[in-house]
Amino acid sequence: MADIATDVHAHVDHHHDDHHDHHHKETFLTKYIFSQDHKMISKQFLITGMFWAVIGALLSVIFRMQLGWPEETFPILETFLGKWAEGGRLSNDFYYALVTMHGTILVFFVLTAGLSGTFANLLIPLQVGARDMASPFMNLLSYWFFFAASLVMFASLFIQTGPASGGWTAYPPLNGIRDLAINNGSGLGLDLWIGSMALFIVSTLLGGLNYVATIINMRTKGMTMWKLPLTIWALLFTAVLGILSFPALLAAVSMMEFDRLLGSSFFLSEIIINGQLLDHKGGSPILFQHLFWFLGHPEVYIIILPAFGIVSEVLSVHSRKPIFGYRAMVLSIMAIVVISFLVWAHHMFVTGMNPLVGSIFVLFTLIIAVPSAIKVFNWISTLWRGNLRLNPPMLFAIGFVSMFISGGLTGIFLGNSAIDIQLHDTYFVVAHFHIVMGVAAFFGMFAGIYHWFPKMYGRLMNNTLGYIHFFVTLIGSYMIFFPMHFMTGLPRRYYTHSNFTTFDNFGGLNEFISIMAMVVFLAQLIFIFNFLYSIFNGYKLKKGEENPWGATTLEWTTPVERLHGNWPGDIPAVHRWPYDYEVNGEPFIMQTTPLKEGEVEH
Amino acid sequence: MGITLLLGLLALILLFYVLFRIARTSELASILRGDIHNYQYASKVNGVLMMAFLIIGLIMIVYSSMIYIPKMLPEAASVHGAKTDRLFNITLFFIGVVFVLTQIVLFYFSWKYREKEGRKAFFYSHNNMLEVVWTLIPAVVMTVLVVMGLQTWFSIFPSHDEMPEDRLEIEVTAKQFNWIVRYAGMDGEFGPRMIDTNYISQTNELGIMWENKASQDDIMPKEIHLIKDKPTLVRLGALDVLHSFYLPHFRVKMDCVPGLPTSFYFIPTKSTEDMKEILSTQKEWQKINEETGEEEWKSFKYELACTELCGKSHYAMQMDVIVHENEQKFMEWAEAQTPYYESIKATLDQASIEEVEVEENTIAEKSN
Repeated sequence: MADIATDVHAHVDHHHDDHHDHHHKETFLTKYIFSQDHKMISKQFLITGMFWAVIGALLSVIFRMQLGWPEETFPILETFLGKWAEGGRLSNDFYYALVTMHGTILVFFVLTAGLSGTFANLLIPLQVGARDMASPFMNLLSYWFFFAASLVMFASLFIQTGPASGGWTAYPPLNGIRDLAINNGSGLGLDLWIGSMALFIVSTLLGGLNYVATIINMRTKGMTMWKLPLTIWALLFTAVLGILSFPALLAAVSMMEFDRLLGSSFFLSEIIINGQLLDHKGGSPILFQHLFWFLGHPEVYIIILPAFGIVSEVLSVHSRKPIFGYRAMVLSIMAIVVISFLVWAHHMFVTGMNPLVGSIFVLFTLIIAVPSAIKVFNWISTLWRGNLRLNPPMLFAIGFVSMFISGGLTGIFLGNSAIDIQLHDTYFVVAHFHIVMGVAAFFGMFAGIYHWFPKMYGRLMNNTLGYIHFFVTLIGSYMIFFPMHFMTGLPRRYYTHSNFTTFDNFGGLNEFISIMAMVVFLAQLIFIFNFLYSIFNGYKLKKGEENPWGATTLEWTTPVERLHGNWPGDIPAVHRWPYDYEVNGEPFIMQTTPLKEGEVEH
Repeated sequence: MGITLLLGLLALILLFYVLFRIARTSELASILRGDIHNYQYASKVNGVLMMAFLIIGLIMIVYSSMIYIPKMLPEAASVHGAKTDRLFNITLFFIGVVFVLTQIVLFYFSWKYREKEGRKAFFYSHNNMLEVVWTLIPAVVMTVLVVMGLQTWFSIFPSHDEMPEDRLEIEVTAKQFNWIVRYAGMDGEFGPRMIDTNYISQTNELGIMWENKASQDDIMPKEIHLIKDKPTLVRLGALDVLHSFYLPHFRVKMDCVPGLPTSFYFIPTKSTEDMKEILSTQKEWQKINEETGEEEWKSFKYELACTELCGKSHYAMQMDVIVHENEQKFMEWAEAQTPYYESIKATLDQASIEEVEVEENTIAEKSN
């Protein structure tokens, strides 16, 4: 990908271990394509993720045109989409294909692979003090499985019957029967979707095992678990969640493919299509939902935990204050991780599930609000009496907290099953999850990119463009998703609401939301431009400026130039926790600085 | 169209370019000044902007609520719906307070503690007392919400023994992209169904055993008819894929699953006429409907919608719902209906004769 051009300025320092390096000269192929350097792999994840983010967002702009102006025609759509938008009006089956692919791409390819793939790879070895991952080769495989998954998914966008169109949750029987009469997307489109997800899950597992092994085994001297920055804690638990939950999805989609191709009946029973009774007997479509959400709910934490970690770190560094309640932050992540395995059926309150079972999931779902609240209060307290450097990473981190509050609170309605009866599958849900795990996770990701860009490329990003990007995105995202709370009774996944007199009174608001969606999309192009431009033309950090933010963690002790092995000499030992700011009369103290005599360890 | 598009695109590119020039110039200026790592000026401007965002944002929330809350669904028209709406409002109160307070504090701090010459951050790493306090407060609030929520939840799903005997029962079966509604008819008994190829056919997708007397007076109308204050049990099913039975005004929602019967029990409390009367006093419903030329409230109707993605016409599974004033009105309607069996008898005989013939042929072939 665009990695070809990255790091053109970086001339690898060979002065350590000279004789060793001559035997392993990096070629173009091993340096940029099949690199085993975790820093390069992280860039590969990031840039592939950015590519997917643009595609996924573009799909949403197209279907927002349909939602905003359901009666209008747009000839340009026909130009690009052909038969899917005859006469310039998006066809209903392609509308559902767009919605499905938007969800799949954003949830898995951008916010799982793009977010934790990027930052786990970049930060874990650098912040724990390791030369690379436990298995650099497995790490390489993790990226290339992701790349293969991406190719398959991307190809599925262009096939004749269209990509998968039965929702990103791929519920059977709509997706469980390989019959175009039921759904166009349930043919080859869904086969490719399932194939791609299988590759994707392999990638996640390879990556995840590696992350856990590295964090547990490869910490440098003195780096006890309680001296790890919160980013590492968050990434550790993200990986654990992925390892434990993704296999359930692999099982579910494999069983579904058996149903589709081999005539098994895991998820199908008593199905009558056009007066024809199918042979499938004894399966349960609800079983698929249990398996899916057993992954699906931890998945939202897989998305948001890395953002938790990044935001905690960024808030602390740019407030020039320690993160408030470090141990409480770690324990609350642990609590969230454990409880996140016990809440999945809150997606299924109205599937006919026994109300008693539902009540248990209500209990655990609302309990999870407690550790989430602890985190929010700690973030806010971190700002209190700080000296806040309101630069792009910091602004995005504050924006994250705002979004997380707004989206998290609406979860308290949805988690209460009695209220969920009315809210389930309406725009209230769309508003809730887009704010809390869509926009918030993106804010975390942006905070991370702006913050660690100097580490990745040895240059600074343009701040002014960053401010424009931030404010347009903050205001625009609220304007898109806040009004959706008023559409509480409106079913989601509707091509148009005009078939119902009950739902037809939000036309003007839908138009407004669509316009804001386009504005926010354009603002992201500013970011992408800034990112690509700064790789080559950003302010180049000089010698002695390798720690531009005055942060304390280990990644800032490495030289500006990219170096396979991270540190030219020995790996530094760690003596203190990562949050010593404005203490002992110093603006900050690196983790590598030994404790002063009489100083108490945190 | 082509020209406007091109012009729009050009304008956009120009806008991007101007932004870029400004951004680049300001960046170069700060490098020249030698304060590339100094964010004091930016913090001042951004701090003010954050504060402005907070204030304008809060005003916009109030303003948009005034416009859009009247457009939302009217008050619940069922017994349990009133309870869940109340629960929604109680939750909204707690959450509203937390939302406003935390957002105010968050943005206020961002502005108040922005980087400034001479300001030094205060080293303050933890306070266990505070952690305990803000663990306990949400825990208590959540406990209250869980208890209230579960009380309501269990009251919505009574066991069959707890439902009154003289309830109205309706069978609704969903398919792509339609609802098949069935009433038991005058005998009060649904005709039995058989999931079997001998019964299921294009003319009998439900597999109703027509030879059974109970089947022959079943009514299959094109709308759903309910009775005000009459306990109602809707028995749900689906033929092909998942669907979800959603009556927005009654706060009723339950999935329809092939091969797995589900149901929803509720009591409508407002007839269609009652709801029209309520709406006739609301400003939002005074607008003139372009199609009918009358005020909106006059054409009000209850509707049934599907809320589980079921294929390309998912959005079109609409059905009207009528709530009769009393049992008598309902019976008047029901008596005027022709049982479904009567209306298809002729075609049914034809079809079953053909089917029998086919069967005989196959038997004959086999014996040969």
